[in-house]
Amino acid sequence: MAGREGVPAGSQLPEASTISEEFLRQLTAVGEVDILVGVPTFNNRDTIERVVSALQVGLTKYFQRERCVLINPDGGSTDGTPEIFKNASVRDFGLLLTSNPLRTFHRVSAPYHGIPGKETALRTLFTAADLLRAKACAIVSPDSLSITPEWVDSLIRPIYRENFDFVAPVYQRRKFDGLLVRGLVSPVVAALYGCKIRELVGPDWGLSGRLACHFLGKDVWEEDITTFGLEVWMTTTAIVDGFRICESFLGPKIQAAKQYGQDVAGTVRQVVGALFRCLDTHEEFWKTRGAPEALPLYGFPYDVALEPIPFSKRGIMDTFRAQVDQLMPILESILTPQTLVEIRNMERLSTREFDYPSELWVKTIYEFAAAHHRSVINRDHLLQALPPLYRGWVSSFVFRNQKADAANIDQKLEALGHDFENLKSYLIDRWSAEAGGER
Amino acid sequence: MATDALWYKDAVIYELHVRAFYDADGDGVGEFRGLTLKLEYLQELGVSAIWLLPFYPSPLRDDGYDISDYTGIHPAYGTIDDFRMFLDEAHRRNIRVITELVLNHTSDQHPWFQEARSSRDNPRRDWYVWSDTIERYKKARIIFTDTELSNWAWDPVSKSYYWHRFFSHQPDLNYDNPVVREAIWGVMKFWFEMGVDGLRLDAVPYLVEREDTACENLPETHDVLKFLRSRVDAHFPGKMLLAEANQWPREVREYFGDGDECQMAFHFPLMPRMFMAIKLEDRKPIVDILQQTPDIPGNCQWGIFLRNHDELTLEMVTDEERDYMYDEFAREMRAKINVGIRRRLAPLMEGDRRRIELMNGLLMSMPGSPIIYYGDEIGMGDNIYLGDRNGVRTPMQWNGGWNAGFSGADPEQLYSPIISNPVYGYQAVNAESQRRYDHSLLSWMKRLIGLRKKTRALGRGTMELLAPPNHHVIAYMRALGGERILVVGNLSSQAQAAELDLRQWKGSIPIEMSGGNLFPPIGDLPYLLTLGSYEFYWFRLRRL
Repeated sequence: MAGREGVPAGSQLPEASTISEEFLRQLTAVGEVDILVGVPTFNNRDTIERVVSALQVGLTKYFQRERCVLINPDGGSTDGTPEIFKNASVRDFGLLLTSNPLRTFHRVSAPYHGIPGKETALRTLFTAADLLRAKACAIVSPDSLSITPEWVDSLIRPIYRENFDFVAPVYQRRKFDGLLVRGLVSPVVAALYGCKIRELVGPDWGLSGRLACHFLGKDVWEEDITTFGLEVWMTTTAIVDGFRICESFLGPKIQAAKQYGQDVAGTVRQVVGALFRCLDTHEEFWKTRGAPEALPLYGFPYDVALEPIPFSKRGIMDTFRAQVDQLMPILESILTPQTLVEIRNMERLSTREFDYPSELWVKTIYEFAAAHHRSVINRDHLLQALPPLYRGWVSSFVFRNQKADAANIDQKLEALGHDFENLKSYLIDRWSAEAGGER
Repeated sequence: MATDALWYKDAVIYELHVRAFYDADGDGVGEFRGLTLKLEYLQELGVSAIWLLPFYPSPLRDDGYDISDYTGIHPAYGTIDDFRMFLDEAHRRNIRVITELVLNHTSDQHPWFQEARSSRDNPRRDWYVWSDTIERYKKARIIFTDTELSNWAWDPVSKSYYWHRFFSHQPDLNYDNPVVREAIWGVMKFWFEMGVDGLRLDAVPYLVEREDTACENLPETHDVLKFLRSRVDAHFPGKMLLAEANQWPREVREYFGDGDECQMAFHFPLMPRMFMAIKLEDRKPIVDILQQTPDIPGNCQWGIFLRNHDELTLEMVTDEERDYMYDEFAREMRAKINVGIRRRLAPLMEGDRRRIELMNGLLMSMPGSPIIYYGDEIGMGDNIYLGDRNGVRTPMQWNGGWNAGFSGADPEQLYSPIISNPVYGYQAVNAESQRRYDHSLLSWMKRLIGLRKKTRALGRGTMELLAPPNHHVIAYMRALGGERILVVGNLSSQAQAAELDLRQWKGSIPIEMSGGNLFPPIGDLPYLLTLGSYEFYWFRLRRL
């Protein structure tokens, strides 16, 4: 099998552990493709038909002449998701403002081998992209309720026609939605990596075949970082390895409620842990990186009225105080005395007065990152100490901005991003501080 | 000649223009005497019928489709005796002859029209369709979009408009007039009595007009055809009528009637889809149209073809498909004309022998009687710089010598320039040099036609489409009685593997028909075949 340009042949040979024989048979029948759209699933029967129909219409409408395939690596669904995927069909293309497809519409669905999860599913998709020599790929969440055929164009066109390698989505978010990404992960990456990606964890992406092969060729697939923080790893790796990145507006982000899910604390630990590990790996890169640059944005941004995320104030402060008290011995190992004092002072504030200032939040995160890097304590324990502080910051942000509209929220978060940028040198100092020395 | 009434179901038809084939008298124009001299070539090729483009007296403003005398021979092509001699010689070689009946319209120089226009009271006035305004039949589309702005033309003689679906010098006959029907029957009788075996009914969907309709495929048109067919059956059983109806399969189906209209009809929509499939490297366009093709009466047959004397018509495709075909096959603007592409098979296939063979392999094995356009058996090229569709109607290339062996006249005297570029020119592509070599396209075509004629299932059998998972591969089974022919073709430029579900023929041994070699017997497992670039197989399934 020929290698992709710049990458030796054979280095992307599929691991037998992810591609089953049935999967391989189906891929063999498809042959080379121009565009691959992947929809990893696990028990998504309620939404998968709509997603597949939207993708089929999108591919027909925008890439009618291209060789396309829709691939569904399934993690062992028990609710009939793969059957629905295979049988979903568009009855009348004319009513959907497009014509009948010129080419055979390929659909491949098979369970993948290995531990069910995003990492295995995406690795399977990257392997398929390599085997089929796909030029452009899109990965779409199976539970998007707001997906339209235009998402296909938005995610694929910048790659297929404009030669980008990575398309990060831009969603219209509900007020206070996605604060972990918007208030922590994205601003850190922007400040340190010099690349402003608004939605760092997708879940809808576009990527070039060469980037998919590049990911596949990395020696990280058995590590925790891909298990628990794959999206962060993908994005930062794409930045560091010099791939062309852009953003594309997809519209509102509305997803079905997850049938399984992690609590906020778990998500924070995993995502932030992945981010911190990436900082370790990419230290030489981000330390010398300049100010962040905005990325090209494809698509026509628009706003629609979305219901805000409901947020209950009840008990938040009590929980914050209790948890911070409990974690104080750990926090003393992580945070500087000044930061610790400010957090203690916050504890004493009334609910009405409670405020987690932006600068303090930034310093908190950077001190955690540095402490994680220096492994001042067991890293898992360190990460377990972050969620209460995160909840505190979220509460403060929400309380302070409950009357603000979505545009104002965006401005506040933009300002927070500047704070992360301005305090980059603070992180660099903390990063190299001697253990036991000034913290 | 053998008297099988269904001879057309086994026919391999060769379409030619007498003007273009061979010039025996050295005036620069082919004629019947020259064609007669070349019947040996056609017999060797193996075709069983010749379809002659119009050879009647005509001002030749539409390459003979503008007829001014239905029962004569254009003097440039010889005399009626020359035609009789040709007919006899063709029949002696077991080659049937199909000629044109341009029944929708005449030339404006035809005496019928000259009389009709002379006065509103002339007895032949009602032989054509007249109007004082152009407001009638407004829903009828214009067919020759490059040259015509209206379906009505002003007649300055009788100061009224006359109806023409084609060029303005081709007024439509009025089939609501029973006298016209009888007159046309008289024409048919003339040629059938002489011995012609079939008539291609040109432009048959447009015979009748009605307000608030598209003036195509009307029930009254079918009444005309039933009338004519009933006369043919009564007086000339075994003669064949071939409908030229460039319509969707379900509409063309109507031209078979209940086996009481035309015996044959061209399958126009299949043709562009074969080209599309090979360019897309995907069987979908072919499969889709075959699935939309209705069953036809047992005494009827499709006429299938790759190219002909007209443009590769793109009327029966979607807008997106048309755009795709233009983008892929007509990158030069001059290659486009009307709603189609005026190129021959070989240039459309970029001179790729493998693709030419594949297209012919599919043509000769799909349901229908195949029609080969003259010159395509040797891979002739075209000249898009000639006007109208003349670029695909250039002189036949017989050898690499003077005027390609077509004529002894001065080159400037020829009715058309000969193709002379280094790729498709007569010195590179000609029948004589290809006759000498077993590996030439001509020799290959002879073998393919021979196989086709020996295999009744290909002409008369059923068709069952198979669905191998690999969409680059098209596969189907043709069956007649105990005869089973499996056709597998790779539409891709790259080698492909295909697994075929042949379990219902378990125990049969596929025998590859060109070489006669045995392939592994069919068992329970998917039958794996690997095919090289554009490769195809015909297998005869044999049970021991």
